[in-house]
Amino acid sequence: MRDLLHLAWRYLAYHRAKTVVLVLSIALILYVPIGLRVLVRQARAELASRAASTPLILGAKGSPLELVLKVLYAGRQDPPLMRYGEAERVAKSGLAQAIPLYIRYRAQGDPIIGTTLDYFAFRGLRIAEGRQMTRLGDCVAGAEVARRRGLRPQDAVVSSAENLFDVGGAYPLKMRLTGILAPTGTPDDRVIFADLKTTWVIEGLAHGHQDLSRPEAAAGVLARKGANVIGNASVVEYNEVTDDNIASFHFHGDPAAYPITAVIALPRDEKAATLLMGRYEGAAAAHQILRPIEVIEDLLRTVLAVEKFVVAALALVGATTLATATLVFLLSLRLRRREMETLVKLGASRGRIAALVASEIAGVVGAAAVLAALFTWATAAAGANLLRRFLIE
Amino acid sequence: MRLWWLTLGGLALVLALIPACSPRKITPAPARKPVVYTTNYPLAYFAERIAGDAADVRFPAPPGVDPAYWEPETSVIEAYQQADLVLLNGAGYEKWVERATLAASRLVNTSAAFEADYIPLKDAVTHSHGPEGQHTHAGFAFTTWLDPHLAQRQAEAIREALMRLMPERAADFEENLRALAADLAGLDRELKRITAGGRPLLASHPVYQYLERRYGLDLVSFHWEPDQMPAPGEWRRLERLLKRRPARLMLWEAEPLEEVRNRLAGYGVVVVVFDACANRPAQGDFLTVMRENLARLERALAD
Repeated sequence: MRDLLHLAWRYLAYHRAKTVVLVLSIALILYVPIGLRVLVRQARAELASRAASTPLILGAKGSPLELVLKVLYAGRQDPPLMRYGEAERVAKSGLAQAIPLYIRYRAQGDPIIGTTLDYFAFRGLRIAEGRQMTRLGDCVAGAEVARRRGLRPQDAVVSSAENLFDVGGAYPLKMRLTGILAPTGTPDDRVIFADLKTTWVIEGLAHGHQDLSRPEAAAGVLARKGANVIGNASVVEYNEVTDDNIASFHFHGDPAAYPITAVIALPRDEKAATLLMGRYEGAAAAHQILRPIEVIEDLLRTVLAVEKFVVAALALVGATTLATATLVFLLSLRLRRREMETLVKLGASRGRIAALVASEIAGVVGAAAVLAALFTWATAAAGANLLRRFLIE
Repeated sequence: MRLWWLTLGGLALVLALIPACSPRKITPAPARKPVVYTTNYPLAYFAERIAGDAADVRFPAPPGVDPAYWEPETSVIEAYQQADLVLLNGAGYEKWVERATLAASRLVNTSAAFEADYIPLKDAVTHSHGPEGQHTHAGFAFTTWLDPHLAQRQAEAIREALMRLMPERAADFEENLRALAADLAGLDRELKRITAGGRPLLASHPVYQYLERRYGLDLVSFHWEPDQMPAPGEWRRLERLLKRRPARLMLWEAEPLEEVRNRLAGYGVVVVVFDACANRPAQGDFLTVMRENLARLERALAD
């Protein structure tokens, strides 16, 4: 038996180019439908579990999928914004707990989620190192962000300027990292959390500066109109919240009109959920309220339909490839007639020759199977990242 | 003999094992009392009266600090974050809350029901950035609890919040609120009776706006601190005012400096300490402090 395997191996090694092409062709034919199935199953599991754990999402009218992906995964697409007052309205209704989210800014590419402490309780997020944020300008980092960037409590995290060439846009805010979250294996590991009010500071809606009513701030005063002091452009705003300047931070305008991305609504019960959803029904409503699982199931139905088409096409391609591979083997047998005759003359029976050819075929198919398994394993390992890249970001 | 000893040993072993094998009596862990934090003392007092022994009510501002201008340390904010309920006075009272990170679902603005009745601050300076910029908020008077009627509404909001937290104790809270409401109504009756004369009054600081509105007081406020001698300009302002309004009483949040008291006496103005009781008193409680305020005011008005 060993002599047969040796001869088969030597043959395959000698015709290495042909062998590699055959192995790769068969491996790909095996891998593509299996890998696709693995990826789709991962997508279903990942998307469905995150969506199912989020009862309702309220946002401005727009693409439901964009809104859901933004809230669940902090994706790069920005859905239309809504007013914070709507979150207060939901909370005051008594039908649901309202968790506002403002997901617009980034810090070196990592999303900053502005929210309240209720989000941490809702998602079961726990501080593993350091402490919870306590004031404006504080933030906590998800486990993966902290590991990747080597962040430790008390480090500074600087928000990215929204547009480098927009002088009137959001200026970077130097935030104080107070804690690192324990890993959860969810998208929360890949974001930075700050108080909702801190994201409004980044936006410039709240800020700190010298008291303009004080005589020493006269250089920053453009005019006085009644009891209102109008500051000029020379008023320097603090780009960092410190113990010394925190008392100077204040809000302009009505916070109810401040922007947020969405509200996660945690209804008291099913009846409350239905009542709440009823409030936002109708084409004239400026808002949409969604059950994320329904939106994700819609997406998955589309993905599954596409998968069926792809698998059918692959089956056709696979059959063709297998037929071609069979032809290659048969043709190679014809080309190897003299080699076979030599083996017969050396005393090899027909059965031994058949076993030799079978060993070669088994070697090629076996190598292809191993390669396909490796590809599938790699797909499973990188699946979450692939999903994020193609489906979310 | 050997068999006898073996039997005895076996019996002893069985007896020793019986307690270990019998079902263990599990002592239930004592149920943790909900922790309620407040941002001023009147709210803590109302919560203590309404909750009774059902909740652990805490107000962590150090003595002598005005809670309206208090900036809690990080560890104190962390304690507020752990609370089951945080009672706010509202009307912009607790400015530090605007800058702190707290769980929104646990915050209860006890004056939310009468937001429309907040008194806007007079002479408040606002600012904006550029002619088109949004103004900062001028703010409201925030010593709402000095009006016993509003204090009762705040107490009702506390009762509601406690009932949501501990629905099984609703009847107790209702009964405790009734007792508190009766005390507050008593204060209200007394204040109405004492202030019925309508005599002009002065106040060292603008903290009595809700008292002024409720009882129709003729009150003018200064910005004088109890531990400081007012500037000469302030005394001239007082002189001008007294020529137009012959007020004979000035309400102070705390005892002023002796020289201030004497100088006021020179103008015929008597100092009456009317403690807003925003922080926990060294002695007594909210009700006793308010009754002492009323007694002092009544005596001064009678003289």
